[in-house]
Amino acid sequence: MDPVKITIDGREIVTEKGKTVIQAAEDAGIDIPHYCYHPKLTIAGNCRMCLVEIEKMPKLQIACNTLATEGMAVKTQSPKVLEARRAVMEFLLINHPVDCPICDQAGECWLQDYYMEHDLAASRFEERKEHERKREIFGPYVVFDGERCIKCTRCVRFLQEVTRTDELTVVNRSDHATIALFPEKTLDNPLSVNVVDICPVGALTDRDFRFKVRVWYLKKTPSICPGCSTGCNISVETYQNRIARFKPRVNEAVNSHWLCDEGRYSFHGLTEGERLTSPMIRQEGGLVAVDWDTALRAVATGLAANAPAAAILSGRNTNEEAFLYSRLMKQFVSDGGLEVFYRERELTEVEKILKSPDRSPNFRGARHMGVGSEAGVEPLLKNIIDGKFRSAYVVGEDLASLSDLGDRLKSALGKLSFLVVQDTRMTPTAALAHVVLPSTNFAEKEGTYTNRRGRVQKLNPALVAPAGALQDWEIFARLLGESYDRPADIFAVLSRQLPAYAGLDYEKIGALGADLEAQHQ
Amino acid sequence: MEKILLRNIDAPDSQTLEGYRACGGYRALEKVLREMTPEKLIDEVKASGLRGRGGAGFPTGMKWSFVPKDNPKPKYVVCNADESEPGTFKDRLLIEKDPHAIVEGTIIAAYAIRSHTSFIYIRGEMFYGAQVLQRALDEAAGAGYLGKNVLGSGYDIDLILHRGAGAYICGEETGLLSSLEGGKGWPKIKPPFPATHGLFGCPTVVNNVETLAALPWIITEGAARYAAIGTEKSKGTKLFCVSGHVKKPGVYEVDMGYPFKKFLEEDCGGMANGRKLKGVIPGGASMPVLRADELDGITMDYESFQAAGTLLGSGGVIVMDESTCMVRAAWNLSRFFAHESCGQCSPCREGCHWIEKILNRVEHGAGKPGDLEKILSVSGNIGGNTICPFGDAASWPPAAFIKKYRGEFDEHIAAGKCTIH
Ligand SMILES: Cc1cc2nc3c(=O)[nH]c(=O)nc-3n(C[C@H](O)[C@H](O)[C@H](O)COP(=O)(O)O)c2cc1C
Ligand code: SF4
Ligand code: SF4
Ligand code: SF4
Ligand code: FES
Repeated sequence: MDPVKITIDGREIVTEKGKTVIQAAEDAGIDIPHYCYHPKLTIAGNCRMCLVEIEKMPKLQIACNTLATEGMAVKTQSPKVLEARRAVMEFLLINHPVDCPICDQAGECWLQDYYMEHDLAASRFEERKEHERKREIFGPYVVFDGERCIKCTRCVRFLQEVTRTDELTVVNRSDHATIALFPEKTLDNPLSVNVVDICPVGALTDRDFRFKVRVWYLKKTPSICPGCSTGCNISVETYQNRIARFKPRVNEAVNSHWLCDEGRYSFHGLTEGERLTSPMIRQEGGLVAVDWDTALRAVATGLAANAPAAAILSGRNTNEEAFLYSRLMKQFVSDGGLEVFYRERELTEVEKILKSPDRSPNFRGARHMGVGSEAGVEPLLKNIIDGKFRSAYVVGEDLASLSDLGDRLKSALGKLSFLVVQDTRMTPTAALAHVVLPSTNFAEKEGTYTNRRGRVQKLNPALVAPAGALQDWEIFARLLGESYDRPADIFAVLSRQLPAYAGLDYEKIGALGADLEAQHQ
Repeated sequence: MEKILLRNIDAPDSQTLEGYRACGGYRALEKVLREMTPEKLIDEVKASGLRGRGGAGFPTGMKWSFVPKDNPKPKYVVCNADESEPGTFKDRLLIEKDPHAIVEGTIIAAYAIRSHTSFIYIRGEMFYGAQVLQRALDEAAGAGYLGKNVLGSGYDIDLILHRGAGAYICGEETGLLSSLEGGKGWPKIKPPFPATHGLFGCPTVVNNVETLAALPWIITEGAARYAAIGTEKSKGTKLFCVSGHVKKPGVYEVDMGYPFKKFLEEDCGGMANGRKLKGVIPGGASMPVLRADELDGITMDYESFQAAGTLLGSGGVIVMDESTCMVRAAWNLSRFFAHESCGQCSPCREGCHWIEKILNRVEHGAGKPGDLEKILSVSGNIGGNTICPFGDAASWPPAAFIKKYRGEFDEHIAAGKCTIH
């Protein structure tokens, strides 16, 4: 690193050679207002919001395209700068509808925020506003409002530079310039909704989310995407104990600023539908509700009486849960009988930018905890179909609904002497069980996931689990006859026992996670 | 006054290779390839004092010398034949009447920066000009002035004619480069500059048609002869294209430093229809207007125009007599700029049309007190704050018109109608 010393508003700052003024300021905690600049995209320099005064330069300069050089004196608050900023705000708003009350972006709109900070003046514009296309469907998840667009080209650059799918461009000149799809294109690449996140205004909105809830009512919980083992960092945004949306959280070690569409909407499939609220036991005529003690006693005796058992844990269970499940099930399984659910599929080039080829965010952690082997779940599924087991304990995976093996698994599971299914809803698999245990989904859990590349990251509960359900770890602990107050206590035990996790401190994993390798060295 | 740029214009068949050679054409190229290294050529052009005729007046030899010699990337010269500024029509004359001078000049410039592929970017609407230039290129290639091993010198150069699609902004050099690359004609942010990161990210020189067309004469006659013409900072001759209310509008070649009033009164035959002069836009539509009383003592060169608060620009002289409504003239210009802003940066994209809308109101009787201050403020907020100089070009004219003809604007607003027509 080549240090470069500059001053911003009189404050001395040491930055590195090659950084721009806006980056140097950001590193030092000084916010230079901007729209078109995005740290992950090339510099466009078109919004002109970041104009600053630089000593010895007659004209204002854009901070996003000005390299910090030794001795440079930058002013971000001089009268000239403030006036230019106010002017840019005024320009951006003259043809803007400013219909915030019916705009889904309101509350997280950069125009609103910067207007409050840098303008606050009544508009001097008395002419007829230019009109543009409204509510144009760009793709399955993205809708465009041409009148709210400020032509910052972040969306266009994202699609050129990150996904390289080039669906959007700018057409027309002057104040008729607007964003448009190329003919015959749809904005449907696997990362498409990121354009909504980076659009600073209400021009691109999320069709799944919009108009469901005002953003200021959202409760935001930092967590990890349950979609695959990349482990993208997310904010789970909830309203009235329901997930309204996922938003990516910036983590340069994992997902940078992005989130894939499949992961973004994975909460629908994982959290919606009627919940199980009581354990059940199969009796003549079907499943009947029982209390937890009765159900857990039935599990213990049923497994003991029907060896060998097949044990399948969901790839969405946490490390803490896997650690207990592993110890529990080793009593009842023989070699190859205990696996975490993990299956691969083909990914397209665009998917590969972010996604992993699975839907098991914690398969790696589960294996670390002793659930499963490199052989994977496929031989185990085959052995179930081949009738090699007398019993099974399936956690959180609806095996009977798998698109390829579902029918055969359904019939094989139906023939078992004893089947325990632990899940959140009455799935076709649960319907076959002798004992059904109601548990929790990823959004209700606390604990850790270890992603594909060995980074341990924290899940935080964003939702309250329904009464009657128990956390998976509680169920396993009770079956083991152990007692913990919280997942952190289980983590403390597992980190003492597993060398790879030794030295990791649950509290210190923090919002951005910690690499196993780094801890191991 | 010696004709340098227009020396061949009246010759029959001036646009053919034969006609051009009969006037001494391509001798400069031979001389360059036989006798001069690129370094010596650049020195010669520097010594001539030639400055860019595209509007900015940047010294041509110096521009070439910014191209890094050790850069392994291809280097390009682009001849800017996009001429689309209202009131500017000098390049078109050269293109249609003396295309080989442009071709020869472009090859010479290419040699100076060691370019082996170069371009002529011609305005889309100049269909005839493009045909003439293409024919000239074909003839030049046939005669061995283009292609491999030009005139046995070992130097290779291809020259490609590219037609634009009709946008004024593609005359701005980086807008031109974006368009030539196949993209939307959006000017690029600087830095980096074209000299190091131009066409396709490679070192590039963009020069105006008139600039390049002056090179053959400078080489054959010598830089010293060229530098002997003109003033201290403005050397040689310049084309001025005169339009508006004069008796003899047209393209004139004038020694730099020629008295402006004399030019209008004698060379251009004075005002048409016996009316009085009201104002002149001296350097193309984007340059600030001068009132009749400001013309005294002005000479036709970079320094004198600048001292008068305007710029030589492209040399497009638009003459307006007393029958002209200055509000309407300002509105007309603002309409052009509102239509031609590329739409990239916020101030220019939004501001140009805003100004147009206010001027439209003022001209059509709906002006209000405060409108003029608003235009001045908006134009001040555009100028200097944009990616390319279009922002200045668009904001100067309305501001200049209001400042210089304030009374007429105020009358329009007070009367609630146009007070001239
Ligand atoms: C809006 C705008 C339009 C321009 N149009 C032209 C043009 O049509 N032809 C031209 O030669 N230069 C034009 N220029 C100037 C070019 O950007 C550039 O400075 C010039 O081509 C350089 O050539 P020169 O050094 O020979 O003058 C324009 C500049 C601006 C800002
Ligand atoms: S984009 Fe922002 S400023 Fe515009 S209407 Fe929506 S919330 Fe309001
Ligand atoms: S749609 Fe949004 S991101 Fe795209 S240019 Fe408009 S404001 Fe910027
Ligand atoms: S100043 Fe105007 S023409 Fe130039 S880049 Fe900006 S918007 Fe385009
Ligand atoms: S952030 Fe610098 S110009 Fe937009």
